[in-house]
Amino acid sequence: MVTQANLVGDLQSVAGAEYARAPEGESFTVDGMRPQVVAEPGSYEEVAAVLRYANARGLAVIPQGGRWFISMGNVPRAYDIALSIRRLDGIVEYEPADMTVTCQAGISGGRLNAHLEQHGQMVPFIRMNPDDNMTIGGLLAMNHSFMRLPHGAPRDFTIGLRVVTPDGRISRAGGRVVKNVAGYDLCKLHIGAMGTLGVIVEATFKTFPSPLAREDRSLEFGSLRDACEFVFEAERRGTCLVAAPIDRRQRADGDRFVPVSGYILNITLAGSPAAVARSCRELDEMAAAARVKALDPDLLPNIEGMPEWARRGDPLNVRATVPRSKVPDLVKALEAEPRGLFIDPIDPALGRITAVWLGLAEPEEMLGRFRALVTRLGGTLLVIKCSDDLKRRIDVFGDPPPAFELMRRVKHQFDPNGILSPGRFVGRL
Amino acid sequence: MTSRLVRELQAAIGRRWVLYAPEDLLVYEYDATIDRGLPDAVVLPDSAQGVAKAVRIARRHGVPITARGAGTGLSGGAIPCEGGVVIVTTRMNRILEFDPQNRLAIVEPGVINLDISRAAAPHGLYYAPDPSSQKACTIGGNVAENAGGPHCLRYGTTTNHVLGLEIVTADGEILWLGGRTTDMPGYDLTGVVVGSEGTLAIVTKVIVRLLHKPESTITLLAIFESVTEASRAVSAIIGRGMLPAALEMMDKNTMDAVEPFVHAGYPPDAGAVLLIEVEGLAEDANEQAESVRIICDELGTREVRIGLSQEDRDRLWAGRKGALGALGRMAPSYYILDGVIPRTLLPSVLDGVYEACERFGFPVANVFHAGDGNLHPNVMFDERVPGATQRVLELGEEIMRLCVDAGGSITGEHGVGYEKRNYMSWIFSEDDLEIMARLKAAFGAADCFNPGKVFPTSKGCGEVSSRMRAAIAKVGPEAYV
Repeated sequence: MVTQANLVGDLQSVAGAEYARAPEGESFTVDGMRPQVVAEPGSYEEVAAVLRYANARGLAVIPQGGRWFISMGNVPRAYDIALSIRRLDGIVEYEPADMTVTCQAGISGGRLNAHLEQHGQMVPFIRMNPDDNMTIGGLLAMNHSFMRLPHGAPRDFTIGLRVVTPDGRISRAGGRVVKNVAGYDLCKLHIGAMGTLGVIVEATFKTFPSPLAREDRSLEFGSLRDACEFVFEAERRGTCLVAAPIDRRQRADGDRFVPVSGYILNITLAGSPAAVARSCRELDEMAAAARVKALDPDLLPNIEGMPEWARRGDPLNVRATVPRSKVPDLVKALEAEPRGLFIDPIDPALGRITAVWLGLAEPEEMLGRFRALVTRLGGTLLVIKCSDDLKRRIDVFGDPPPAFELMRRVKHQFDPNGILSPGRFVGRL
Repeated sequence: MTSRLVRELQAAIGRRWVLYAPEDLLVYEYDATIDRGLPDAVVLPDSAQGVAKAVRIARRHGVPITARGAGTGLSGGAIPCEGGVVIVTTRMNRILEFDPQNRLAIVEPGVINLDISRAAAPHGLYYAPDPSSQKACTIGGNVAENAGGPHCLRYGTTTNHVLGLEIVTADGEILWLGGRTTDMPGYDLTGVVVGSEGTLAIVTKVIVRLLHKPESTITLLAIFESVTEASRAVSAIIGRGMLPAALEMMDKNTMDAVEPFVHAGYPPDAGAVLLIEVEGLAEDANEQAESVRIICDELGTREVRIGLSQEDRDRLWAGRKGALGALGRMAPSYYILDGVIPRTLLPSVLDGVYEACERFGFPVANVFHAGDGNLHPNVMFDERVPGATQRVLELGEEIMRLCVDAGGSITGEHGVGYEKRNYMSWIFSEDDLEIMARLKAAFGAADCFNPGKVFPTSKGCGEVSSRMRAAIAKVGPEAYV
């Protein structure tokens, strides 16, 4: 029988007395569940020892860093150990002239890039104004990046990983050179796996030159289709787009939000001064031809005055990804039933929209209808955040994908005892 | 047993598309490497269903299955080293859907790489990975090997351009991985099948991502007295944070082979050249070209040719992409190596390569993706000289050691195949390899798909390597690197 007291004691003997403790408050809660113990190992070997300990006893471990994405995923089946990688926050090797960097997974994207910036380089996954506690382990586990247009997702620029398996092996995938096809590309398997196959403790990235110039443009369109087409045309012309999300200012009116502006396209351009200057000329020319108003980029808040009804209950926050050409159809269908709906933003270049419903009495019914619509358009829908109660009743990923059986076998091979974030992944793996 | 296997395959796929006569099978025993392996039967299905049927039949008979596209691979990926059934995908060569709005195409595995870009051209789009064999190689083979090419420096390899795959599993089941959008829920199985060298599944459809053609492409030819100077320039270009679209090096031996054959315009008396391409909006490309020129000047280039006509450009690239074929004229046999090193170490590792070749007494021609640190030494020899093949292999092993000791990899784009499987343990621990084997187990592939590849094994090793040693040699004029 594993009691909390001897669990803490055992893990203290693994990670050191200060680095294993019973959690205080809600700081390590996941979907309303509290772990019995928090472990903060300071080395890969200690991570391995914690996992071996848990694996031998069938204890559920949820790896975590800055907890930015901790609300994503299904409700865990069990949660015994919060495994924090925050102490693994070093830069292991950086050779600017090779344009590669190796760092530990607990470092934040902001700190890593502040270091690379001294050499005019970056790893392209954080916002231009970094959110400092977003760890690269979390960004990798979610395959998340804020600069996808020019540089792709983390899966595209990660060249090596060190991963600790549930049975405590410290394994390596990929390497430290930018081109490498030796063996299976297990980096791809772990990136986006939300820590369900192993704990990422170290990563090697290609670095990129930091852009020397940046410009922003805000343009207001009467029609979403025109705004989307503008983005596609900007891509065709080869402008150096970093981001091109579309927002709409809205205000509450009765039980819904109504638009008080057209579709506002916020374009960020970045690159060499020559590329940025030329891109600006292209966009200005396109805007003049389309008779689009340029706005002061100093933006108003997107939502004016939060009504009482919108504060009731938990928001339902979803992300839909559809083929790019379907974005206007999706938004149009959404706008036809606007009760409590708030769309922010629409990203035609990525084929992605993020939507939030506020104050919904029947979120499950709305979610079902929206998911069916997205599926019909050839896309997928992920629930990013909702009430713990709703989360217990749904699968945040929707129906399992066609290759689910194969994914189940992969999970079984890599985590046979099901100790890593059990139940959180697709199909409750 | 073979005849029963053949009869079942004939019934499933059609008589005309099953080959089993020894003279027919011979055509399928080799690829662009020097390895050989004779299949028991060759089948050419025209659909995923056909592939699935062939897989189920072969599994029932307990014989291995090897997929094959155009057979241009450089690691023996398409060679049935333990016999069995070869499934050829060349009849599955349709572009099924072309979707310029969403910048993707859905193609069958037998579609030739360059044909995708040709079909996309009217829309201002193209498919970025460009292995030198792109006029001949199929997209299925590109997926299996995670093929690269000169322009992967900026745009990434095959894995960065594949959104989804339809596969036939070892159970003969047809499955979709990934899809038309990014961020499909679940594990990125597309990402692990790409580059798995045909050992996990057989790919029957591929969703590829297309890119917009850049407004301006500028090709530069920088001429150097020596390879050392040229490699210093490469390190400097990368070290200053530049990311050209392509950054290729050719040494004197390569140019001597290419010039009489292709008349590409490479200088006859230079020690090495860099073929560099920068791309983007016109103003940006001009600035990049100017920066590259300045760096080359600082590092002692003899001359940088810039502002080349389209015709000159095409000739230089024809020379680069046809280099391997041209080298075939220089010696009775040659051995192509593929290794990767950190780019800062190019000068010293290349010195090591030349030194080793000289010590072994073999001429070497280096033509490679310098910007990626992806070396391709081509060692020339005569297999008829007793002991030469053995010594070339020893030399190859020493060069691979140089790459690994420099912190690099044993293959950048050609694949492990069987030639290099026993080097895997130089860069991966037993645990790492055991974990890769778990993935194979999850796919239920055991050893049914392309056995003997990728993983180090003692099984049949002596036999395979002696066969390989006997065969190592000829690459025809149709070979590419």
